[in-house]
Amino acid sequence: MKTRLALLLGLGGALAALAPPLTASNHREAPITALDHKADITDLYAFMGYGAGSAGKVTLIMGVDPLLDTANGPNWFPFDDEILYELKIDNDHDAREDITLQFRFETDQRLPSLFQVYAGADNGYAAPPNSPSPVPPGTPIVPPRIANFDSAGLGQRQRYTVKAIRGNDQFDLRPDDGRQLYAVPANVGPRTMDYAALYQQGSFTLPSGVKVFAGTTDDAFWIDLGAAFDTFNLRSSVAPGVLSAAQDAANVNIAPDTVSGYGVNTIAIEIPVNLLTRTGRVEPATSPAATLGIWGTTSRPRVSVRRNVNGVPDRSGLFRQVQRVGNPLINELIIGTGSKDRFSMDQPSNDAQFAGFFADPSLPRVLNALTGGVLAIPAAPRLDLRPLVQYVPPIAAAGTPPGPLADLLRLNTGVAPTPLASASRLGVLGGDGAGFPNGRRVFDDVTDIALRVVAGGVLAAPFPGFNADINGRLGDGVNVNDAPYEVQFPYVALSPSGRDRRHIDPTEPGCTAGGGAPCPGL
Amino acid sequence: MPGPVTAPKSQRVEGTPAPAGVRSLRALKSAAFVSALGFICLAAVAATALVTDRRVATSATAASHVTAGSATGSPAERRIASARAAIDMHPKRVDGWNDLALALARRARETAAPGYYAEAWQATERALALEPNHLEARKLQVWILLGQHEFPRAVEIAERLNKQVPDDVLVYGFLADGYTELGRYAEAEKAAQWMLDMRPGNVPALTRASHLRELFGDHEGAVELMDTAYRRTADAEVEDRAWILTQIAHLSLLTCRTDAAERLLTEALTLFPNYHYALAQMAEVRTQQGRLSEAVAFREKHVAVAPHPENRYALGVALARAGRLDDARKEWDAFEVAARAEAATWDSANVELIYYGADHSGKPVDALALAQREAARRQDVRTLEALAWALHRNGQSTSARKEIDKVLAVGVAQPETFARAAAIAAAQGDRGHARQWADRSVSMCSASSAAEDARAVLARLRATE
Repeated sequence: MKTRLALLLGLGGALAALAPPLTASNHREAPITALDHKADITDLYAFMGYGAGSAGKVTLIMGVDPLLDTANGPNWFPFDDEILYELKIDNDHDAREDITLQFRFETDQRLPSLFQVYAGADNGYAAPPNSPSPVPPGTPIVPPRIANFDSAGLGQRQRYTVKAIRGNDQFDLRPDDGRQLYAVPANVGPRTMDYAALYQQGSFTLPSGVKVFAGTTDDAFWIDLGAAFDTFNLRSSVAPGVLSAAQDAANVNIAPDTVSGYGVNTIAIEIPVNLLTRTGRVEPATSPAATLGIWGTTSRPRVSVRRNVNGVPDRSGLFRQVQRVGNPLINELIIGTGSKDRFSMDQPSNDAQFAGFFADPSLPRVLNALTGGVLAIPAAPRLDLRPLVQYVPPIAAAGTPPGPLADLLRLNTGVAPTPLASASRLGVLGGDGAGFPNGRRVFDDVTDIALRVVAGGVLAAPFPGFNADINGRLGDGVNVNDAPYEVQFPYVALSPSGRDRRHIDPTEPGCTAGGGAPCPGL
Repeated sequence: MPGPVTAPKSQRVEGTPAPAGVRSLRALKSAAFVSALGFICLAAVAATALVTDRRVATSATAASHVTAGSATGSPAERRIASARAAIDMHPKRVDGWNDLALALARRARETAAPGYYAEAWQATERALALEPNHLEARKLQVWILLGQHEFPRAVEIAERLNKQVPDDVLVYGFLADGYTELGRYAEAEKAAQWMLDMRPGNVPALTRASHLRELFGDHEGAVELMDTAYRRTADAEVEDRAWILTQIAHLSLLTCRTDAAERLLTEALTLFPNYHYALAQMAEVRTQQGRLSEAVAFREKHVAVAPHPENRYALGVALARAGRLDDARKEWDAFEVAARAEAATWDSANVELIYYGADHSGKPVDALALAQREAARRQDVRTLEALAWALHRNGQSTSARKEIDKVLAVGVAQPETFARAAAIAAAQGDRGHARQWADRSVSMCSASSAAEDARAVLARLRATE
């Protein structure tokens, strides 16, 4: 099994030889995804694993179906059986996928007579002695608390498959022991289920050192979404959208995390890096082959103009792409409203059509205007943004073919992961080379980073009017997530409980993950 | 035909409809019909309309031929009245002028009266005077250009709009229409696919995709999409519904499902009395049924409602088929004068003029010259097929074969095309293909007039065995 997978993904053998040499930050950002919640990709993460047993492995995480309130039964939030979920990897710098990982779900309704899809309590409850006819006393009524994927109370159970595709070859990734892959349900509440146990059991080991996870988890993203979309009416004691040095340095929130208490559907996979690079080797950071371009997509079955090609059913166009995500916040904050659907549905290799948005994004101009010029911005064209859209330093090694302009999350796999104790939420801007925009970890504060890079122009500095205390301290005031991240695969925090979840809103106490000072109201 | 279902608002494409026009019954068999397609636009807001020609001198003249709609008028007439009332109250609001332009363009399709396009264009100019570069007004101008068959100009503007606002679904429809008319089918398919993908189930996308399926030879698939479009079109949009029914009838006639076509057309004519597209198709029904004098009657009615040159040509063909050769000559003479007068324009009856020269007037050399000029500016299958036929009639079988092969390579599968291909192959001495295509023509619809020609080819082949 291991050999077959290795071959498929390009490790050694003929395929390797043939290989070419060489919110969720995105909640409902395009009209089409605003109408298709289930296919809405919230975030994409890609980083070198820093958990136990993850050395030398790339972790890819895609969140879909934003702002899930886990109190919202009776059906909660299954993955959509109709959607094709894909993670795509470009390893030769042409912005086209060389490796595709496909996830498909299949839903079983095991308790069709019950009024909600999950139910359980303690060791189960039977009909009491006074149970009216025709249900005799002792008849099982409430199943035992859900503790594993075979629990009777797990009425809605989702199986899924993982398929790896490289060129014309494809291979189903299955556990060696033949077990089914199951998705972790939403955390309904402590009486109904032992969610933590399900979360643990939801990580499956596959051949070749691959791990997968799928299920409802905490939304790893944090942001003062309401303030951001109130035409950047950000909260700060210094100036709107500008943090003090102390605020910037603290792991404390001075603004409400709009995403707090919400879940998201997460797909995660961990893969040895040598199965992804075009050389089939672990490459040093100085090697052009070390940098991968990654994006995620959701697609639905389509009606095709052409049903047949030469009399044969055309299967090449079975799906229409609903959305794609590479870098965080690109479609949300960079792409114009009249182009968002096309951006979502098109291929990264065609992103040259959106070059104008990258060369002269409107976000900096908006902030420049809103601050009356206090925030100076770089002149267009914004060549400093190239690392987000091309394979260039400081992410890719010098000498890497830049490739076409394309929104990909670029990860230099040769950069070792930073130990958690010394990691910075500001990633590369914070001196932590293993964080965004070199890939993206779950705890990278992409809102603050994006504000500083895109609006603050910190990569373009110095330029006239640049002020490190302003341009370099832009932020929304939300510095930490509301739930603690896991320290190993799949890294995302556990889903909030439907019974006890809490959304921390303005003026409420405990602005920082439920503790500390209240959230400001203004 | 399943009962109609009013389309939920969410399934409708916002904005304006698409353009262009079916010019005649023959157009229904051709690429020219595409544009007409277009206009099935979700009646909803802006409605749609297929286009038509500018054959009628004035819109009033055309309107007098149409008795459609209730006492309060057709859907387009009601919209025109509503838009004018809104303009009277708020003459400086852009929306009123845009609504008027849309309603007028839609009326052009209802009546086959191109005079409405000029009025519609003026309304868009008023809108643009109030708000230069207003997107909806610009889109309407593309629509009008398509209706006037100014395809290159329409495509040029639509491509520009598409770059500005790539999320606008209807602009892809304009592109699909223009590309189809010019024979740029790969681009047309791509544009139509974007429409289907961006807003699954939207009616303008379904009708365009249906037409492309027909061109690609997938008639069953074409009906499937038209059927879905019909069910998603609101009951009140009687002209849109009549138009879709007429298209399904046309597809049915290709395979000799004559009774089904008659039922569909009867329903269309009930929804929208004297509907010019339906009248032309009903003439085809009668032809397949061998009721040739009734076919002539429908053709005469068609010409009365939409007196465009190509419709007169078709009337001449019907008269000739019914044995009234003198009357046919008169119609054709009138047709030739009118068609030659507009031969240099985009909105012409040149394809009919080519067939007339090749088959009826004894002027095959003139027909070929015209076909070559026409093919130099557009490579749609209808034009290429006419060129192939003109070449064949001039004894240039090898060149004719190249052109008809291009048509067949697109996927076109129609009895008429196969009959012509068979005649060309026979003239070339390619007996195998000649027999194959003639058989295909006859087997698709043995009652079609094309099948008669195909049988003649088969007879000649047998005679020389």
